[in-house]
Amino acid sequence: MKFLISLAFKNLTRYKRRTIITALAIAIGIAMYIFIDAMLMGAEYESVRNLKWYETASARILDDEYWEERYQYPLDLNISDPDPILERLEAEGITASKRIVFTGDMILSRAEFGEDGNIPVRVTAIDPSRDFDVFHFGDTLIEGRFLEEDEEAILIGSWFAEDIGASVGNWVTIITRGNGGFYEAIDLQIVGILNCPNPNVNRTLIMMPIKTADYYLAMDGAATEINIRLPDQAEVEQEIATIQGLLNGNGITVMSWETMAKDYLAIAEAKRGGTGMILFLIFIIAAVGISNTMLMAIFERIRELGMMRSLGMSDMKIRIAFMLEAAGIGLIGSTIGVIIGVIANYWIINVGIDFGFLMREMDIGYRIQSIFRGTWNPGTIAVAFFAGILISTVVAYLPTNRALKMDIPSCLRHQ
Amino acid sequence: MTTRLMKTALRNITRNMRRSLLSGIAIAVAAMSIVLLFSLIGGMRADMETNLKDFYSGSVQLQHADYEEFERYNPVHLTVPYQEITEVLDTIDGITTYVPRTTFPSSLYIDETTNGAIGVGVDFAQEARYHDVEAIVHEGRLPSSGKNEIIMGGNLAQDLHLKIGDQVTILSTTAARGTNAITMEIVGIAAFPVGAMNTSTFWAPLDRVQYFLRMDAQVQRILIKTEEGVQEQQLAATIAQELSSRTGETYDVRSWKQINLMYSFIELAQLIYYFVGVFFFLLGSTVIINTTMMVIFERMREIGTLAALGMHGKELVRLFFLEGAFIATIGSFVGVLAGVGITSYLSRVGIDFTDALSGMDFEISSVLYPQLNVWITFFVFFYSVAIASLATLLPSKRAAKIEPVEALRYI
Amino acid sequence: MRTKRTQKLLSLLVMICLIPSSLAAMSAEEIIRKTDEMQTFDTAITEGELQITDRFGTKISTFIAWSRGSEESLIEFTSTAERGQKILRTVDSIYLYYPDAQELIRMQGAALRQGMLGSDVSYEDMTGDNDRLSQYEVVLDGEQVIGDRMCYKLSLTATTRSVPYPKETIWIDKEHFIVLKGEYSTKSGRLIKEIDVLETGRFDDLVLATTTRISDTMKADSQTLMIIRELQVNVPIDSRIFSLDELSW
Repeated sequence: MKFLISLAFKNLTRYKRRTIITALAIAIGIAMYIFIDAMLMGAEYESVRNLKWYETASARILDDEYWEERYQYPLDLNISDPDPILERLEAEGITASKRIVFTGDMILSRAEFGEDGNIPVRVTAIDPSRDFDVFHFGDTLIEGRFLEEDEEAILIGSWFAEDIGASVGNWVTIITRGNGGFYEAIDLQIVGILNCPNPNVNRTLIMMPIKTADYYLAMDGAATEINIRLPDQAEVEQEIATIQGLLNGNGITVMSWETMAKDYLAIAEAKRGGTGMILFLIFIIAAVGISNTMLMAIFERIRELGMMRSLGMSDMKIRIAFMLEAAGIGLIGSTIGVIIGVIANYWIINVGIDFGFLMREMDIGYRIQSIFRGTWNPGTIAVAFFAGILISTVVAYLPTNRALKMDIPSCLRHQ
Repeated sequence: MTTRLMKTALRNITRNMRRSLLSGIAIAVAAMSIVLLFSLIGGMRADMETNLKDFYSGSVQLQHADYEEFERYNPVHLTVPYQEITEVLDTIDGITTYVPRTTFPSSLYIDETTNGAIGVGVDFAQEARYHDVEAIVHEGRLPSSGKNEIIMGGNLAQDLHLKIGDQVTILSTTAARGTNAITMEIVGIAAFPVGAMNTSTFWAPLDRVQYFLRMDAQVQRILIKTEEGVQEQQLAATIAQELSSRTGETYDVRSWKQINLMYSFIELAQLIYYFVGVFFFLLGSTVIINTTMMVIFERMREIGTLAALGMHGKELVRLFFLEGAFIATIGSFVGVLAGVGITSYLSRVGIDFTDALSGMDFEISSVLYPQLNVWITFFVFFYSVAIASLATLLPSKRAAKIEPVEALRYI
Repeated sequence: MRTKRTQKLLSLLVMICLIPSSLAAMSAEEIIRKTDEMQTFDTAITEGELQITDRFGTKISTFIAWSRGSEESLIEFTSTAERGQKILRTVDSIYLYYPDAQELIRMQGAALRQGMLGSDVSYEDMTGDNDRLSQYEVVLDGEQVIGDRMCYKLSLTATTRSVPYPKETIWIDKEHFIVLKGEYSTKSGRLIKEIDVLETGRFDDLVLATTTRISDTMKADSQTLMIIRELQVNVPIDSRIFSLDELSW
């Protein structure tokens, strides 16, 4: 066996050109497959990411009855003492942050905005020191600054700013109902504008510090929700069960983003079919490319095979030697392919493609973050790697087998 | 001379059938896949476009001039006179059909709780002329005009635990800017081809909605479909102009491409797919180039023999080029033909992704009809031939340069 | 001639009877109680209209209302756009009846904060006033002239969070005990809602506000005028009218 391995290895290094061409065919096929998969999955994941990053987080702790009444944004269905829960989660290594979400009317004054106006709004009060660990607003600031712990200030989405003609420094008043139902008016200064890639959020976002909201709304430390961020690959359902266990009831419940965002998922699902077809097609091209090159590489060497047979090497050994060689080529090709694919993915995932030029016709001053990004898909990379090796090995088997069935002279005469 | 070369090339091809077949198949598969990919992309785009036009904006959308400005205040009262407008529309060339739609945010009152939903008042008879409205019926039937009946998106019905035969009380703001409520019966469950609609929307007969919303004979908007090849933007301008000169009113008339957001998402999707398409070309090219180069390297000894027999370098290159071109022509012809064949079959039958979506609670039948892109198909054919033929040049030029003796030693 | 004189005399007598108490500076609580008493009737039938103005213009809705005590009432709209719609207020709930709906809609929780018919009067405002004294601390701030009438100026500060307006200032006509003006504010004193009686009228021997303007001070372009055209008090009303079962009729 050791001999066979060293023979295969020697052959690989001896016929460098052939090895390179064949391995290259495999590498390119695999790299492309990995890259296109990352892109297509990225396109598909885009909406999910927009949701998880900016709207739902991975999971959310709510009062038992909150979800049913969620459209009313009730302040009285709250988590009365969120801090011990946050501490417990933190002790388990789970990132979480509390929020108060409430609705009200935003009053725009003539002095600040040129005309009087009032708009129904939803305000999200956040913990400025922790919220961005859970949600991804950290890199969306395009003007002004972020919130401080305890100030009468808000951040707003750029489309919303555009809509109402607001800029940093403007004051607005939010009229709302505090916990219990009393009216409250809060004067808030716009200190920053966020450009969030999620259009829903960008069009409506208003954020203020939770301490300020707590004071005005008389929440006495209560929060309406605790949002949890789980790692991308986490088994959400399982994690939720764990968290539910940690909380052991107390009138609060944990919901996964999937439950919260059923509507959105329905849209994303519908696209999946077409994506699958595209991946299938690219797999076909790659597979044909790999097997063709491999077939040719073996056929080319039937004379050599005949030589080996005439020198008395057993069929079994020859077969193993050839397949080992093919597997070697597959391994080299797959490795290179995965490396290229990962590098390309690294680019498409972390840098992305700016498609802002597509949006130029849209008559808006603030452009939505228009970068298309891919997504990591470790499963695909693993599958592609092994498929590369497997296909080349299996494909090598067929012509080798055929050659072994021929008589030795015709092998030697083979062109 | 040339004919001799041609004959030799052809003979070489037929002589080593296996090799020719391999490289031909590689080219064919690459060409076929690219054709199929672009058909799929075309199909997906067409699908999105149809959905947008059928359910959101039409090719041209007409509404009250101020509607958009006040949209966030739910201006139910900003309506347009349907009859008067359609009289003008009927005289304008380039319009095939139109349909009135009145969308109203509403609350469904169920067991003492209110649940948000979006109601749409539609004229089902006119809808049938506009698109295949029967296709949205998943269960039950379409509501009849004049009756308090609705057809509800499947996911919405499921969320609210409603079924056919149930009565639902709908609350909404009226055009008189008051409130009103009406009870209607669910007679159908809809499977809208747009996911978002399934979770939020119900359709009711326009006349009942007009009554309910105190709209008289007004409607909120009119969706217009145009004849093939009509400049939508231009038509929108024409309609606006005609309307203002004949009725003295200004309306907001825009083509679907001017109703920015939706359209730019289609553009974005297309961009991504074309980007993928570029990689298909790249991958296809590598497969073709690789195979062709292998073929030539494999034949180094043959080249040596030919050279020893006195064939010149240039002639050698030409011979291999011709061989490559022949194989490529046949290969990409077969590939493109297969691509066209599969596409035209699938474009009739459709690819049913319903199974792929079965993870959802409510099944939306999702059938994609690939669309052949004639230009890309032609392009793919010539591109494949060119790539394959050109790919012969590099190795054959190298082969032509080496000494016959060396070439004969080549393994 | 004679009867008129008697009447005058009588009212004078009443005034004299009242003087001691007011001289002894009616306490704030007493003023509130008296006002509630004066504005509440065993039964009443009112006809009137709502003129609702928002950014899109003004619309007028007419109504007839039947009421019993301070906690039960039924309003039926008679204008075309909402003809037949009814609002029933019982001791503990508000129900909406729509002619085309087969069930009654019960308003509760946050839904009560919605404006009735899109006006500046919320359903909650309709129910709110019952027991002001238990929810507010009342202070008499002295007297002030509103229009041409002498009024008590009262400041109310909420003792609970469950009332909409943490602070109220109301001006009560010293003579007729009608709230002529009200300012409703947040805890910090930001004015949210304003009520002004623009006209008062006399029905039999009762003086009541006939035109009242209710405005959301934050919304520059909106206001609601409530106009009372007819009023009959202490007329017999079939008590079934305030029952749920009768509502659908």
